[in-house]
Amino acid sequence: MTFVTPIYLDYAATTPLDPSVAECMREVQATAYFNPASNHIAGRQSARIVAQAAAKLGALLNVDAARLVWTSGATESNNLAILGAAKQRAHRGRHLVTMRTEHKAVVDVFRALEKDGYEVTWLSPGADGQLDLGSFEAALREDTQLVSIMQINNETGIVQDIEAIARICRSRNILFHVDAAQAVGKVPVDVSALQVDMMSMTAHKFYGPKGIGALYVAKGTALEPQMFGGGQQKRMRPGTLPVDLIAGLGKAAAVAAQRIDDDLAALTQLKERLWSGIRSIEGVRLNGHEKGSYPGILNVSVADIEGESLLLALEPLCVATGSACNSQSQEPSYVLRALGLSDQEAQSAIRFSLGRQSSEADIDVAISAYRSAVVKLRSLAPREVA
Amino acid sequence: MIDEPYNAVVRENFAHPGHAGDVPDGAVGYFEDQGISIRLSAGVTGGVLERLRFRAWGCPHVLAACEEFCRRYQGRPASDLEEFETARIMEDLAVPVEKTGRILVLEDTVRSLGQAIQDLTDTPQE
Repeated sequence: MTFVTPIYLDYAATTPLDPSVAECMREVQATAYFNPASNHIAGRQSARIVAQAAAKLGALLNVDAARLVWTSGATESNNLAILGAAKQRAHRGRHLVTMRTEHKAVVDVFRALEKDGYEVTWLSPGADGQLDLGSFEAALREDTQLVSIMQINNETGIVQDIEAIARICRSRNILFHVDAAQAVGKVPVDVSALQVDMMSMTAHKFYGPKGIGALYVAKGTALEPQMFGGGQQKRMRPGTLPVDLIAGLGKAAAVAAQRIDDDLAALTQLKERLWSGIRSIEGVRLNGHEKGSYPGILNVSVADIEGESLLLALEPLCVATGSACNSQSQEPSYVLRALGLSDQEAQSAIRFSLGRQSSEADIDVAISAYRSAVVKLRSLAPREVA
Repeated sequence: MIDEPYNAVVRENFAHPGHAGDVPDGAVGYFEDQGISIRLSAGVTGGVLERLRFRAWGCPHVLAACEEFCRRYQGRPASDLEEFETARIMEDLAVPVEKTGRILVLEDTVRSLGQAIQDLTDTPQE
């Protein structure tokens, strides 16, 4: 059997552990495996590690570490924030607002609430993927209790104006939740300046371990717990805390705080190199902005090409078609459809997502592979199609 | 268990579609459905499929099935096309059941090709 070396360009799906994070976790696993809720000297040792990790994450986000709730990742954070807030405030009203281009971990939670009698307004983005603030304001009602908008779209890298949305929500006493799974640790996120009420994040998107995330909950924001079984984390999210994972998240946050500007500068150059290399292909379109979107994601469609064949032809590139979280489905991406792409355009979309280990050599291979794949598949197509 | 989407035959046929292309002045069968388009062309001499070529727009299983069809039927009597069915190719290519409809487009294209060959045969030579 021949093994080929994959070229990993799927950092929006997950990132490798930073070596210093792995080392930190190994040390905690070996020396501080104790239950931080235990009231003995060893337990308190683990509790201190948890507190230190919270302080590091709090510093990255510019928030009080006490406002962070540990979860298993962004999906759980989104569930806790949206379900918890909607149910806590149900007596005031049952109208909720979100976007059609949110991640499934948000969309499906709102769908569940709809089945439970809540009314959800699903806002469509403009062709540029942005939420129109005028349309947003018009969608808000007296009984609107919660808005949830993601900061960086996981498929396109489009960035929403979180600060402006937060301002509007605040002026109307509406809770605002942000799914920041693609933002935290990757771009500067100053939660205190943004003044959002809740923010979801996960460690494995910024070189931390899988299975640990956090939800920021602003002071005065009440949530109905979604899990029961213990008094941990002020009953907001019970369960024994995974100290090694939390320590890993904290270390990843500290590393991110140190190198976030350098990371962004490198990614910007790599993305420009990639786009420059493929933009001249006939029928290629960029799904998102050339400027102003997150530099770690480049999503492109190409005319007259079948997406699944394109993905196979691109091997050994590890890239995503549609949404990585939805890769088992051959259905065109609902996010790209919401941007106005045809089924064929959406189905041919490839998401290149870049990260710390991405190199210029990787990008050059990607450019060459993409160009070759398009030429090959077009040469196979019947002229009736091409 | 790793859910490998393509078996070795699909990967080989997809990577090296030796029968991709056209047969100039050959009989042509064409069919499109479910977003899939397949064009088969054949050079027939003495009732034998001397050359078979395909062009296709579809997923890797569709492309691999077209290549497999051409490989298996080139050199055989054109009358064999009447008995063609996709079940054997689907099995050999381990095509997921949800893609059955896509592969059936190949069956329709083969019928279209068989009819085109018949039409050419029936046309009086001047």
